Amino acid sequence: MPNEPYSSVDSTFIHLLGGPVVSLKRYLIVRNIVIFWMTCVILAAFLLPIPKINILEHTARNLYFHVPMWFTMMAAVFVSAWHSFQVLKTGDLVPDIRALQAARVGAFFGILGLLTGIVWSKFTWYVGTDVWWNFDPRQSMVSLQLLIYGAYFVLRSALDDPDKRARISAVYNLFSATTTPFLLYVIPRQMESLHPGAEGNPAFSEITHPVMRLVFYPAIIGFIGLFWVVYSQRVRVALLKYRVTRDPEL
Amino acid sequence: MNWFRGSWAVLQKDLRLEMRSRYALNMLLMFVLSSLLLIAFSVGKEAVSERMQTALLWIVILFSASIGLGRSFVAEEEQGTVLLLQLNVPGSQVFAGKLIFNLILLLAVDVVGLGVFAILLNMPIENWGLLALTLLLGSVALAGATTLLAAIIARATNKGPLLPVLLFPLLVPLLLSVVRASRSALDGGLGFPGATEDLQTIALFAGVVITAAVLLFDYVWTD
Repeated sequence: MPNEPYSSVDSTFIHLLGGPVVSLKRYLIVRNIVIFWMTCVILAAFLLPIPKINILEHTARNLYFHVPMWFTMMAAVFVSAWHSFQVLKTGDLVPDIRALQAARVGAFFGILGLLTGIVWSKFTWYVGTDVWWNFDPRQSMVSLQLLIYGAYFVLRSALDDPDKRARISAVYNLFSATTTPFLLYVIPRQMESLHPGAEGNPAFSEITHPVMRLVFYPAIIGFIGLFWVVYSQRVRVALLKYRVTRDPEL
Repeated sequence: MNWFRGSWAVLQKDLRLEMRSRYALNMLLMFVLSSLLLIAFSVGKEAVSERMQTALLWIVILFSASIGLGRSFVAEEEQGTVLLLQLNVPGSQVFAGKLIFNLILLLAVDVVGLGVFAILLNMPIENWGLLALTLLLGSVALAGATTLLAAIIARATNKGPLLPVLLFPLLVPLLLSVVRASRSALDGGLGFPGATEDLQTIALFAGVVITAAVLLFDYVWTD
């Protein structure tokens, strides 16, 4: 009976935490779909022809990776804030584990997006200069979101009692979510952007060929699916660790 | 009316304690003075651009807020008076009282900081009204954010330098707006017409931050 250990683990969670938390069956189905989907996306991203775009040339393929990483991070920020809200509403520990892991995985995707963006701009617009960092609005916004998550992790490590940690870090997570929307309004008026749609830059639809959208939209779905796989896996591991050591931090 | 009486009682208590020891106020002012002198010495006689002057002034204000105002709830925790407050006054009134107290301290920092800075660096202030309004609105927003975070760090086991780490990432939108609005008040700035959008942003930021802080405060304050 290969399913035996899993079902016994699940039943322990049901007793411990008042309900089934993560369905292993759903996780396995989604994981296999995501593996297949991302393989297709990556093959298509490198093999399909793309139109010739000035300056960008073949680096335009980075669109399939760089932009979906941003979208994934935004999704993770929403997931994390939502579960922090649930912590305050229910006082439960499970949403706290979810909020933390969504923030961790989201921060990871944010760092990936930041790095791909920096390398991309360095070898296209800034080739021949020494500029690595150019205070692009989106670059600044994501670095601030990473700072906020850094502060969130530091705050968590400064709180000992699990219940108190869940509640107070949820407050900080939600409080930071109320101030970040101002960045969307304040920063673009102060800094120039390299991104499409900003003043003087062509809109996204003008520079993308239908072929590129054929890969780009599935790539967004694939990356968000990848986020879900990593995130829910980490949630399960954190719950196991909580069961053994009474400490859900990974 | 009862709500105001409770907040007033908390504020009065804090003011009276502060008058006795003058710890927070003296520390804040000394911090502002010494950091401003450090800036003045390190800059020397070189002319500093207006943009740079406002940026430095606001960075000093942010740092002193993050260092001085963290004490408001830590002190309650140290003196063991938290339970007494929790029993006698509802959370929102405690928050309001502490917010006003922090705002008063911050306004003192603003006045002293601006005065010393204007003399040391020859700040060419054109529009006093605009600068005062920017400092006032900015301080309200800053006090709102700092008061909630001070309550958060009072709950932490290692209080140390946690407040600046938590505070600064949240205040970047505010910092960008106040620096631009203060820049408009200096020589060569656009005055009120150039700063209306920024002032609106600061006021909105203050409103949103204080509303969110009031809503979230109870979860931090009560066990």
